[in-house]
Amino acid sequence: MALASAHTSTSQSLSSDSIKKNRMIEISNLSKNYGRHRAVDQISFEVARGEIVGFLGPNGAGKTTTLRMLTGFLPPSSGAARIAGKDIFRESLEVRKRIGYMPENVPLYTEMRVKEYLRFRGALRGLSGSRLRKRMGEVLETCGLTEVRRKMIKTLSKGYRQRVGLADALIHEPDLLILDEPTNGLDPNQIRAIRSLIQNLGQKHTILLSTHILSEVEMTCNKVVIIDGGKIKAADTPTKLVNSMRRAGRVTVEMQAPIPEAEIAITSFEEVTKITSESLQDGWNRFTVFVAPHTDTRAKLGNLASQKSWPLRSLSRRVGTLEEVFVELTRKD
Amino acid sequence: MRIFRILYFKELKTYFLTPFGWLILAFAALMQGLILSTTLEAFENQAQSESLIYLNFTSPFFWFYFLFLFPVLTMRLFSEENRSGTLEGLLTAPVRTWQVVFSKFCAAYTAFAFLWIPAIIHFKLFTTITDIPPPFAPGELYGAMIIIMLMGALFTAFGCLASALTSSQIIAGVVCVGILFVHFLLGLVTTFFGDQIAAAPLFDFVSSQNHLRDFSRGLLDSRPLAYYLCSASFILFLTHHLLDYRRWKP
Repeated sequence: MALASAHTSTSQSLSSDSIKKNRMIEISNLSKNYGRHRAVDQISFEVARGEIVGFLGPNGAGKTTTLRMLTGFLPPSSGAARIAGKDIFRESLEVRKRIGYMPENVPLYTEMRVKEYLRFRGALRGLSGSRLRKRMGEVLETCGLTEVRRKMIKTLSKGYRQRVGLADALIHEPDLLILDEPTNGLDPNQIRAIRSLIQNLGQKHTILLSTHILSEVEMTCNKVVIIDGGKIKAADTPTKLVNSMRRAGRVTVEMQAPIPEAEIAITSFEEVTKITSESLQDGWNRFTVFVAPHTDTRAKLGNLASQKSWPLRSLSRRVGTLEEVFVELTRKD
Repeated sequence: MRIFRILYFKELKTYFLTPFGWLILAFAALMQGLILSTTLEAFENQAQSESLIYLNFTSPFFWFYFLFLFPVLTMRLFSEENRSGTLEGLLTAPVRTWQVVFSKFCAAYTAFAFLWIPAIIHFKLFTTITDIPPPFAPGELYGAMIIIMLMGALFTAFGCLASALTSSQIIAGVVCVGILFVHFLLGLVTTFFGDQIAAAPLFDFVSSQNHLRDFSRGLLDSRPLAYYLCSASFILFLTHHLLDYRRWKP
């Protein structure tokens, strides 16, 4: 048996493996050079079917380059990636059939009418006849374009153009949606509309969206990949990322305790790395306790206060935000 | 083939469902009419030993407008998609690059072919209007149209190449005119320097002026046919690779 399985080629075993594990995107050591500049440097990550993944990074981090490689617009300099088990370079056409891609800034044929444009794009993706008409009706409905379907794209506002781009990406019911900064340049109401649209789409599709608006990711995505300088800095769920952050290990205590004694008592806990204290004007003292990540000292601190009968009025752990994680991981200093 | 058809008709619409294509058609019809009327004046003044078709197509005005048709027809094709970024959307759809290149070429070529309808009508109407037998043989008209279509294939391909080079329509147009002008001058080398120079047969071989003279006398020749079709294919091949440049550049 072992011999027989050894005979199957690597690519076959890889693709059957990916179907088994239900992986939509598998990227391994993908790199892209522009001349001497390495825009994307050996990145690897995976996206499971049905996930909404936020692809974060500062400007120029390599987000768009990565997405362009996945959609087959740019070839990778080295490494490989598979989408739904198909190699992005060797089976580019097959991959492109399964992807709905909305490029950055949503380029559209502005002299076409909305319906005409969607009919053209749907036909390019192999839809025809009643199926094309049905899908056009559906995407016009989902993206809220029914009212403007006869208008020329150049007369539409940015928000509507964004929706046309999204409708274009959706029309052939792709397995994977790749959206490059879908809410770029929209006003807050439009951002909300697009965001709820993406959340609804997430029930049926796998979505990879790049952005640098972090609140958006916290609200919509169940996985986050952070890229900076062409390298992956983190890939996890937003909650786990926030918890593992350095600054999340900061506990603030306000109690009426003598500063030197309390400091000695608190630093005796093994996970405590540092402590600072200050006297507040109303006679209380505030202690800021730095602890190692993934530990929680709050219970111990509560016990300590009750043992020593120090009055305690506040004990809180700093709740980090994704924004802080992002800044911590991508800061240049 | 289905994808090609969709792309071809989309491209054709931009010529015929906008004022753009009709403006070019009006310009071409005007120039064809002007040239025909000046040629007819020459007939009025004195007896001519050559036919109307021959004199019409060897008129110096002919090249003056003919060469400008191509940049106008083709400069937008790729440069506009490049500038607006729609090329990215187009090439990330399940479409092969050759389908994009060939459909755009064919659409421009179809639009070019349409520009000769007024000329054909002019010649066909000659007898109806003047009530005298046409001063040319039908073979001469066919010959002239065949060579114009052949030259059109190569020159449209040059236009596609120029358009794929840049994201500016203006630069694409200027480059196209430049290429066509150089090609035109190559045909004039033997006129200026005589046919005693060593490369004279080569210059004669690529001379569009010579081809047009021969064909509009009704002399069909297979060498220009091979020359134009082969070089048009080669130029389209280059355009294909230029469009795919981002895929193979280091």
